[in-house]
Amino acid sequence: MARQIFEWDYTNYPGAKKYPHVFSPIQLGNLIIPNRVKYAATEDNLNSHDGYITDEDVAYMRERARGVAGGLCTMQGVYMDERRFGQGYVGQAAAWDDKFIPGLKRIADAIHEERAVANYQLMHCGRVGGVETPFCEGPSFLPQRLRLFKPVHEMSHEEVEISIQQHVDAARRGVEAGFDVMEISGIVGYLISNFLSSYTNRRTDEYGGDVYARCKFMTDIIKGVRGAIGPDIPLIIRICAWEQLDDVGGNTQDESMIVYQEAVKAGVDSISVTVGWQESIVPVISRDIDFGTWLWVPENAKKHVDVPLSMAYRLFHADMADKAIADGKIDYWENCRPQIADPDMPLKYLEGREEDIRWCVACNVCLARLFRDAPMTCYINPTCAHENDPSYYPQPASTKKTVFIAGGGPAGLECAWVAADRGHEVHVYDDREKLGGTIIDAGLAPYNDDELYRIIDFHKAQCDKRGVEFHMGETLTAEILEEELPDTVVIATGADYLRGNGAPGFDRDNVISLTEALYETKPVGDRVVVWGNRKPGIGCALALAKKGKKVTLVGPERTVGKDINPSFRWRYNMFLRQNGVTSYNDCDIAEIEDGRVIIMTYDGHRVPVEADTVVYAERGPSAFAAELKAAAAEESIETYVIGDAVVPRGLSGAVHDGYKIGLRI
Amino acid sequence: MSFDAEKEIAKLWAKCQAVQDENRRTFYQCREAAIQMAGDGADENAIALKAWEIKGKDVAKSYLPRIRMDKPKFVENIAKLFVNSWRNQGAVVTVEPGADENEVFIVWERCPWPTTAKQYGAPMAEDLAGCDLALQTTIADVALFSNRNLKIETTKAIPRGEGKCVRRLWLEQ
Repeated sequence: MARQIFEWDYTNYPGAKKYPHVFSPIQLGNLIIPNRVKYAATEDNLNSHDGYITDEDVAYMRERARGVAGGLCTMQGVYMDERRFGQGYVGQAAAWDDKFIPGLKRIADAIHEERAVANYQLMHCGRVGGVETPFCEGPSFLPQRLRLFKPVHEMSHEEVEISIQQHVDAARRGVEAGFDVMEISGIVGYLISNFLSSYTNRRTDEYGGDVYARCKFMTDIIKGVRGAIGPDIPLIIRICAWEQLDDVGGNTQDESMIVYQEAVKAGVDSISVTVGWQESIVPVISRDIDFGTWLWVPENAKKHVDVPLSMAYRLFHADMADKAIADGKIDYWENCRPQIADPDMPLKYLEGREEDIRWCVACNVCLARLFRDAPMTCYINPTCAHENDPSYYPQPASTKKTVFIAGGGPAGLECAWVAADRGHEVHVYDDREKLGGTIIDAGLAPYNDDELYRIIDFHKAQCDKRGVEFHMGETLTAEILEEELPDTVVIATGADYLRGNGAPGFDRDNVISLTEALYETKPVGDRVVVWGNRKPGIGCALALAKKGKKVTLVGPERTVGKDINPSFRWRYNMFLRQNGVTSYNDCDIAEIEDGRVIIMTYDGHRVPVEADTVVYAERGPSAFAAELKAAAAEESIETYVIGDAVVPRGLSGAVHDGYKIGLRI
Repeated sequence: MSFDAEKEIAKLWAKCQAVQDENRRTFYQCREAAIQMAGDGADENAIALKAWEIKGKDVAKSYLPRIRMDKPKFVENIAKLFVNSWRNQGAVVTVEPGADENEVFIVWERCPWPTTAKQYGAPMAEDLAGCDLALQTTIADVALFSNRNLKIETTKAIPRGEGKCVRRLWLEQ
């Protein structure tokens, strides 16, 4: 007889009518889960470095549990070895001893208090899990493809058996801590996937050989864990349906489907479908990958197994998930990064508040931070990882003020809605007719960069709900300040594109700005030199190259895209190569002549490049911001400068600045 | 402002060669330091070979992300990685086909390493053994990573006075 832990009645929720499949119950094993939303396990590096659960992690999980609105909420994977093999992240939770049970129970309790189903995950990170050890563990010694990871020690037969028992013992601790569902992680290059893959498993004992033999480690764990948790707790496994390791002799897709069948035979109730390894050369989750790209993967898996399947990758929106469930491609909707960006994302769908969702921009800063031993952060969500700190949330202002904000970009708008939320009277001025500031321009770059604009949709909705008054097509001037005398001025006017570095030729007619090039308000020749090798220059270079231009990128940074998240930069480097863009880094323009540009290398060499048009995309301090700041000072008005007006950065700096100043006014 | 292309290229070329020279000199300077630190009675040859082995290991690390076993001409592609490495060090190297796609010959028409070895008083036997060991070490890691029985052997060597270095790279079936 199936049991249900919490009753949820979605009848009166608009989201349940709009997304009937997402908000319908699903049975995993003997457990009925009220809806088909799952928050996927995510490391956050918030726990203590000896594996104990912290208040910060409990608060982080509580928010995500509230967001799944009765669905499945998964805690981060635990490591299970006292020697710390398998620990992939410095702040990863541990479960190698009973002493960790009270901390784990705090997570389970927090999830239950939000009336969600608590999922516990076992995660041995295998050949990528050795943050506190001199080497990693794996089925076979195999040199690392990525220098980031430590050498691999080949596990002895005894060590393999010990590891299986560690999984079983840690599973029992999860049950004792009060979790309702058990999950085993075998994805992206972690230990179970190392045993499964022909790429990393070269063993000649009973744990190596053909695909069936390579499954033994996984099936032994499944059987052992099942024995420890009993028949009533659903058991999920996360495994690759496609390793994307064809270039190094990884499993074929057919072999992966055999793995799926063996997992089901061993006793799992559900499989979370994943694609790719950390060592894959094919991108899976970056922004350039279209939404829904990977839906064919679980659809194919469903032909081979008959247990419920879920998938997370590039499936951010409920309409897509609802249709995928309706079409039988997946059985429930898994998400991770969207709920890092907005913990309440599914709940807002349910409540019909889609305009309130703060959308993930798939930048992967969250992952990049974890790999660099830093606490989780979100590019777009300033409160992420600060859930335990009330000062990070808007409180009513003690004195209501009139706030004038110059600039309707992400910094100004973020500040506007937060300040208005606290009770201030907020006016936003922008000389453009459309909100968005620099993001409007950034959204013109190819590879789905138009997704960036969704933050502006969010801001607009929040401002409208809180009565922010917009003065579009109107510049906030010294005269307005003098006449209106607001209590506070926030200067969020962005940065200026710099017309040159003083070199001869920048005053020529064929030298145009990034915006003139992108909007084609001035003619752009076939051969273009873009000056500026940071984000704006790269986006502009790619946009022009996509139009068939021969583009050369010149800039002062030592490597192209130094201001881009390292986990994403390699993608841009690849795009530049694919589009035939030549880069001169650590260089500057020495002179612009008829039909060519002379580039000066950092050590004084001069290189001629043919060019019909030069586009300037380097940014510097805003002259207007300085003027406005001086005017506000003249009137003794409380003044803040935020976003790119302080120093040219990116969307994250703008949003975080805006939020924090919105809290402070 | 006028632009003299020939002058710019000449300057860049000179700098490139200086960097290549400096690279080899640094290797032999560190070799000398290690030998001196090891003291009297130390096995100089063993110390030098260890340095070459470490070099081979590190070269392998840079090759592994570039290996594409799903592409044709696997052996030739590995050979081209060696060619690029040694060209960057100032050698003149090419790949010549072998009996089939599982065999190629890497030919060093010119290599500056023996000259530098002489400048620092290192024996030619050490230079040859060191270079061989570096290549063997690199290939061992590449073979292990790719799970293929890749082999390399020296058939001719400049340090032996044979005019050029020739290495046979093959996949043993």
